[in-house]
Amino acid sequence: MTSAQTPSQSPSQASAPVVRPTNLAEAAEALTGGDGRVEIRGAATARDWAGRPEPADLVLDTTAMTGVITHNPGDMTVSVRAGTPLRVLNDELASHGQRVALDAARVDAGATVGGLVATADAGPSALVHGSLRDLVIGTTVVLADGTPARSGGHVIKNVAGYDLSKLLHGAYGTLALIAEVVLRLHPVPAAETTVRLVCPLGDAAAAARAVLGSPLEPVALEWADGALLTRLAGNPTTVTARAQRLATLLGPSAEPLDTGTAATVWQRHRELVSGPPGEAAMLRIGTRPSRLPEVLAALVALGGSRVTAGLGTGVATLALPADPGTLEQAHRLVYRAGGSSMLRSRPPGSDAPAWGPPPSAVAVLRAVRRELDPRGRLGAGRFSPWM
Amino acid sequence: MTRSGVEAVHGALGGAPASVLDDATRRAFDEALGPENVIHDLARLRSYECDGLTGYRVVPALVLLPRTAEQVAAAVGVCAAHGVPFVARGAGTGLSGGALPVAEGVVISLQRLRRVLEVDPVDRIAVLEPGVTNLDITRAAAPHGLYYAPDPSSQQVCTIGGNVAENSGGAHCLKYGFTTNHVLEMEVVLADGSLVTLGGPTGEQLGPDLRGVFLGSEGTLGIATKITVRLLRVPETVRTLLADFPSVVAAGDVVSDIVAGGIVPAAVEMMDTLAIEAAEAAVQAGYTLGVPAALVVELDGPAEECDTEFELVKAICERHGCTRLHIAADAEERAAIWRGRKSAFAAVGRISPDYFVQDGVVPRTRLAEVLARIAAMGDEVGLRVANVFHAGDGNLHPLVLYDGAAGQTELAESLSGRIAELCVELGGSLSGEHGIGTDKACSMPKMYSDADLAVMDRVRRGFDPGGLCNPGKLLPTPRLCGEQPGKYRPHPLEQSGVIERL
Repeated sequence: MTSAQTPSQSPSQASAPVVRPTNLAEAAEALTGGDGRVEIRGAATARDWAGRPEPADLVLDTTAMTGVITHNPGDMTVSVRAGTPLRVLNDELASHGQRVALDAARVDAGATVGGLVATADAGPSALVHGSLRDLVIGTTVVLADGTPARSGGHVIKNVAGYDLSKLLHGAYGTLALIAEVVLRLHPVPAAETTVRLVCPLGDAAAAARAVLGSPLEPVALEWADGALLTRLAGNPTTVTARAQRLATLLGPSAEPLDTGTAATVWQRHRELVSGPPGEAAMLRIGTRPSRLPEVLAALVALGGSRVTAGLGTGVATLALPADPGTLEQAHRLVYRAGGSSMLRSRPPGSDAPAWGPPPSAVAVLRAVRRELDPRGRLGAGRFSPWM
Repeated sequence: MTRSGVEAVHGALGGAPASVLDDATRRAFDEALGPENVIHDLARLRSYECDGLTGYRVVPALVLLPRTAEQVAAAVGVCAAHGVPFVARGAGTGLSGGALPVAEGVVISLQRLRRVLEVDPVDRIAVLEPGVTNLDITRAAAPHGLYYAPDPSSQQVCTIGGNVAENSGGAHCLKYGFTTNHVLEMEVVLADGSLVTLGGPTGEQLGPDLRGVFLGSEGTLGIATKITVRLLRVPETVRTLLADFPSVVAAGDVVSDIVAGGIVPAAVEMMDTLAIEAAEAAVQAGYTLGVPAALVVELDGPAEECDTEFELVKAICERHGCTRLHIAADAEERAAIWRGRKSAFAAVGRISPDYFVQDGVVPRTRLAEVLARIAAMGDEVGLRVANVFHAGDGNLHPLVLYDGAAGQTELAESLSGRIAELCVELGGSLSGEHGIGTDKACSMPKMYSDADLAVMDRVRRGFDPGGLCNPGKLLPTPRLCGEQPGKYRPHPLEQSGVIERL
């Protein structure tokens, strides 16, 4: 293990030793026999999301566990080490006309596959492809005691055994270390076009309903920066024809964007989701799509800004003042609307609550955690105060 | 399986049904549900003794027929208080013995919870009780131009609660995914009798995705009592073709080229000579007798997109020596193509006195290889194997034909089992859609290490520390794995033509 042990410093965890395994065996070795608290860290692009990590005795840095293990283009599946940045993986797959169909905003910042699974992150294309929970078909993990365990496999259709990949999705480094991930792939669309309709959120919701009621099959439908953005994907000639049908449906103010402008508006969308570098907190919420406009209006009244809203998915992100009172109100407001909310980044030192009321199945979450990590080694603090 | 073999299974798994629960426990169930909702009578209990895997039969101690989620919770609460194992049951169409009763336990039937609680055309969701049939979801959604995508072939009778338990797929899951990709939220009764909600109104999660773990857990983690599913808009266009090929390899190459061309068809199905022969004998759907392989390819989506891709698929078929290309001219012709495809399974009964059905998955690129190996294995023991499968996702359903009267049962059973294990050897899975249940629990060590299975068991204990929730299914147990599985026998509903297998 000494070869993988790299003494390195992290600003907030200067005293905790860092171990950087390069593969599954080294990761298992790093956890075997120890009993201290472990913080699992990838590219650290979401380190300030969810509950704050409590001080750990060891940081397990996954960024040296990289690379494709197997990729058979004909099967449209790939297995990778979990520390591989998704951006790097997708660059590699692009030469085969394939991709992992996830467009979370922080992919550009170098987020790892394992980190994106652990944080249940997703972007606008979740409208069609879902999140990584829908794209991961197998996982190899290492439990807190060093036990490696596999579930799922290399085939897309598979109902043998529990789907433990799901359990790791959104677990924020509690429960187990994700060491290897098998993903299903999708073809890179031959062409994409975005149609923009400048309008306030309320009008956008009505327009979004018309788009979703049409047979045009958008692959993303987001309101951001004062405009409804509808993305279509397909064959170069047919996608243009469909964009025309869409523009007709949405009325004279709707405009199909040229490639450069489309890239710019989606880049802007990612910047808004990623949040400002300043003093605000970013809140991620999900409600039934029909309730999203009213919930967002109420959150804007609390001081919300930089709203991006998935009008088909019901998922939105916005900035709020980072004081605990405001965030507490925001969580409560979303909860009362039947939705979910979580803090996704906040200024250093902010003690705004990361989570709202616990889910009703929190006792099962705790019980599963006790089974998999009886000593609570992994990810302490991430689900504070419920777990 | 021979008659004596069946009895041996009863002896091992079943036992005497009548007196295993004490009077206090029986009274507690009567009080929780009302005596009119509890079946004690042996003759009526017998109709719950098996699911679609009819070779395994166990008579439960009681059958409970709750009418509400609260009654389900109350029933499970009695089980928890008295240490009684329970098995949830929907329509009983499962093919892996997942709803096989436990002799000293109760069956909780969800058949009386069958209301469609809500269809919301704006949010494109339906909220359902677990006993609603799969097809009734689409029926309820259809007036809004919406439908529910997963379409297992038993969809006329199988229930959404059972689909949740088995993570059911269907012919169109290549493009649209499985039950797990379409269920947003569930109200669930846990093994301690508590009612909780898993999932939420969107893909956002508050912590680990327990909804995803529950989906496909074969009734071992609790009982779903309310299920919210996503609905999709009915596609603008559907195009279906039936193409004949001079070899299975050529048909397989077509599938590969379609995929390499960046096309995601709604469905790609393949049948071999024997399966075509059986299907034509049964339904005369217009398939060509004697051809080595036939492909059914279906595309759907916006008109322009669908038309363009359809031309590409036709060109690919021609490039690989397609000997006949039949394009469905209308909905009726499309239905005929699907009737042929879906009847193949039961139709095999017309060309063989007995058969076992198998369900395994290989990586798509190994289809030709696995078929050659299966044919060789069949030749070696002198048995025919018909192949019907979801070629797009490598999900095989080999049908091992045999004659029980001629003493071929054990030979056929062993061949069928070895085929499933061959799938694992080739990098695939023991099951693509039928589940592990009782049938394949003992094969799980072929696919997973002891450590993998131990971790699954730890997760199970997190949900159900007392081990009361559908015990003996999914994971191997010494008690179960000393025994041999039973042969496939048609389900009564299948014999009467209400359901199909594939």
